[in-house]
Amino acid sequence: MLVSWRFKERKSLIQWFDPRAWLIFYGCFLMTTLFFWDVRFLIPLMAIALLVLLTSGVSWMEIRRVFLFIIGFVVFFAVLTFLTGRGGMEVYDQEHLIRRLAAQFTILGWRPTLSITVERVFFALSQFVRVFSIAVMTILIPYSLNPAYYGVTFRGLGLPDKFAYAMDLTMRFIPTFGRDFQLTMDAQRARGYELDKLKGGLIQQVRKLGPIIVPVTIHAIISSEDIIDAMDLRAFGIGPRTWLEELHYQKKDHILIGLGIAMLVAAVVVLFIGLGQFWVPSSLLEKFPSL
Amino acid sequence: MAKQFPVVVDNLAFRYRDREDLAIREISFNANSGELLLIAGASGCGKTTLIRAINGLVPRSYKGDLTGQILLFGEDTRDWKLSRISQNVATVLQDPERQILGTKVINEVAFGLENFGLPREEILERGDWALEQLNIYHLRDRETFNLSGGEKQKIALAGVLALNPSILLLDEPLASLDPASAQETLHAVRGLVDQGMTVLMVEHRVEDVLAINPNRILFMQEGEIRYLGSPEGLIEVVDYHEVKLPAEMVISRAAADPPPQPLQVLPGAATSSTEDHDPLVSFEDVRFGYDKDTEVLHGINLQIHRGDVIAVLGPNGAGKTTFVKHAIGLLKPKDGHVFVNGLSTHKATVAQIATTLGYVFQSPSHMLFAPTVYEELAFGPKNLNHPPDQIKKEVHEALDIVNLSDMEDDPPLALSFGQQKRVSIAAILAMRSRILVMDEPNAGQDYENYMNFMDSILQMPGFEAIIFVTHDVDLALIYANRIILVADGVIRADGPPQEILADFELITSCRLVPTSLLEANIARKSKLTSFLRAEALAHV
Repeated sequence: MLVSWRFKERKSLIQWFDPRAWLIFYGCFLMTTLFFWDVRFLIPLMAIALLVLLTSGVSWMEIRRVFLFIIGFVVFFAVLTFLTGRGGMEVYDQEHLIRRLAAQFTILGWRPTLSITVERVFFALSQFVRVFSIAVMTILIPYSLNPAYYGVTFRGLGLPDKFAYAMDLTMRFIPTFGRDFQLTMDAQRARGYELDKLKGGLIQQVRKLGPIIVPVTIHAIISSEDIIDAMDLRAFGIGPRTWLEELHYQKKDHILIGLGIAMLVAAVVVLFIGLGQFWVPSSLLEKFPSL
Repeated sequence: MAKQFPVVVDNLAFRYRDREDLAIREISFNANSGELLLIAGASGCGKTTLIRAINGLVPRSYKGDLTGQILLFGEDTRDWKLSRISQNVATVLQDPERQILGTKVINEVAFGLENFGLPREEILERGDWALEQLNIYHLRDRETFNLSGGEKQKIALAGVLALNPSILLLDEPLASLDPASAQETLHAVRGLVDQGMTVLMVEHRVEDVLAINPNRILFMQEGEIRYLGSPEGLIEVVDYHEVKLPAEMVISRAAADPPPQPLQVLPGAATSSTEDHDPLVSFEDVRFGYDKDTEVLHGINLQIHRGDVIAVLGPNGAGKTTFVKHAIGLLKPKDGHVFVNGLSTHKATVAQIATTLGYVFQSPSHMLFAPTVYEELAFGPKNLNHPPDQIKKEVHEALDIVNLSDMEDDPPLALSFGQQKRVSIAAILAMRSRILVMDEPNAGQDYENYMNFMDSILQMPGFEAIIFVTHDVDLALIYANRIILVADGVIRADGPPQEILADFELITSCRLVPTSLLEANIARKSKLTSFLRAEALAHV
């Protein structure tokens, strides 16, 4: 059966609003952030994300694992693009060298060299700020949205009954998958199976994951068929449905939606007049030679 | 005009796509308003297929060839959509886990009503009414996934009751319930029948259902009807080994047969040459909670010794599974220690403990993966590095015990639930651990099958101790030499069955219900040294 995310009633900024209003605001925030590469515009957006995080009422213990994973992920990719210099090619075409670090050794005649340029530093910074802001806003949603309201929230956002319920089920599928994975892991460990003892080549390793992957996959397929049967047996989709839970917009929700849309419109205007693109301080550009 | 029965099944036959044999054939019967029809029969006899044909999942969701007719209130349902059938027929599936959709109890109960587009006030009114009918109104605002198995089953029932159907189909509704919950559910069902509902109930626990006077019993065998008629008549045609009948009835009939062979319980424990009296497993003030705020186990202390056959009994949600999962280190105590063979579970990996302690999970579907039953069973011994020749022997012996020798090459994922459960037991038996732990070994199994494999498992040479979690008082009474009652996360009682189970006040406070076999044993107490099964009581 489907399990839910670890939602709790909390005193938090997110839960102060109607879930529909929050999702609209989240959508606007997401698009606005994706429009910009300019750190000067991105920093205020990150400030909003941090404000939401600090007022979320989610304790560090609850969020620690997922948070560290995501931070690790974001830092890893920012560092990777910084080292390789790839990824930023689309937003800048000229680089200004701060320092060139060359290794003391060669590998098969190739000397690993790292060019630290103004553009790469700022690109890595922008990338980190962008992805971090989006990640923070996203991971807070499952902790803050009441699962009982998933369906009616999406219905309230204008999706038809069937799609709204499908979204509801999808939101709950992820933690359910995690639970099934854990149960299967436990069952196989009780049969002497140890995941850390994986040896051999890639194909062999994948084969050895069979005892986990097969039951989890089969279980996911069977459960989705069960869910469809259970819905059919209780007349899902015969006509317009009533949603037991009700949501009512209040003034603050309208304000939040207004703010979200204003932010998005402002972002479009800023982009239109040519601002918000990748930016590096011009003083630095003068200081360092171009490549 | 002839009277229109709510359900008429006429010469029904069905073959699942990709299967050669018919799952059911020549099924004809009708059911009246205010009738409770009990459908019984061994695992795989076609009971569930029949239920699916009536609620329309066969052939709409489970494809295949359906011949014959099903009439609901005189109308042929062949061309009806599932949603139309579901307006007349409500179904509670075998496993509530597979049926519950709502996140909160009230959402779950309201689901069907929401789909009919009823006004919100009416939904709430009818939802609350259904919860009150089953005495579970206090669960109304709880989250469904945090409920115990028994509570889930009642929520699933409330979800269909709220629809106020004229026909109710129940597929093994008692499978995961503690005895008191099962009794309550049965009485609730009887109440619905008395109000005029037609109820078709599939159930292995025939003896329990007899207590609420089913109007008729339909007994199936190999896809056909073997008996259809009054409960008294069934008792004449079936063998007491096949169906669990009231104890005194079995005693009077078994008197004519030769007495059953006494079991050689745990021969491995008796002949063990090591003379140490150290406990095999010991729990020292074990405390545990799944999160910081709620503690599930509040200080468990106990020792398991060589020769113990322990039945762990207790209400739904008492912490029985949490408790036994500590024995193999899948859960580690938050406070206190568990020692297996002198080794703390804090320090050993689960795989290390698995060499001494085999654990059979409640649900088989989380572990089956191999292309054949043989490979499935060989997986554990291989992980423990048993030599190939030995593995072969271990696998074959395990298959023999669970009565699946002819299915060695079948894919386990294609077997029925009951068969899968037996594969999951055999997979652990093949590992030849010294201690065996089974979580609800007889759930979803028919009587004859589970009695046979329990007999064999207890007589296996290798085991030194066996622990099983169960809701079945009779299983505990027949096989265990030690009973542990768990309730609210503490051990309420620990001792020999004659002592614990004879204390009716104690056991009813742990939501157990004295069975006819227990009463028959107590009535003959002066002549017994230990509790016996009904066939053996006949010769006392």
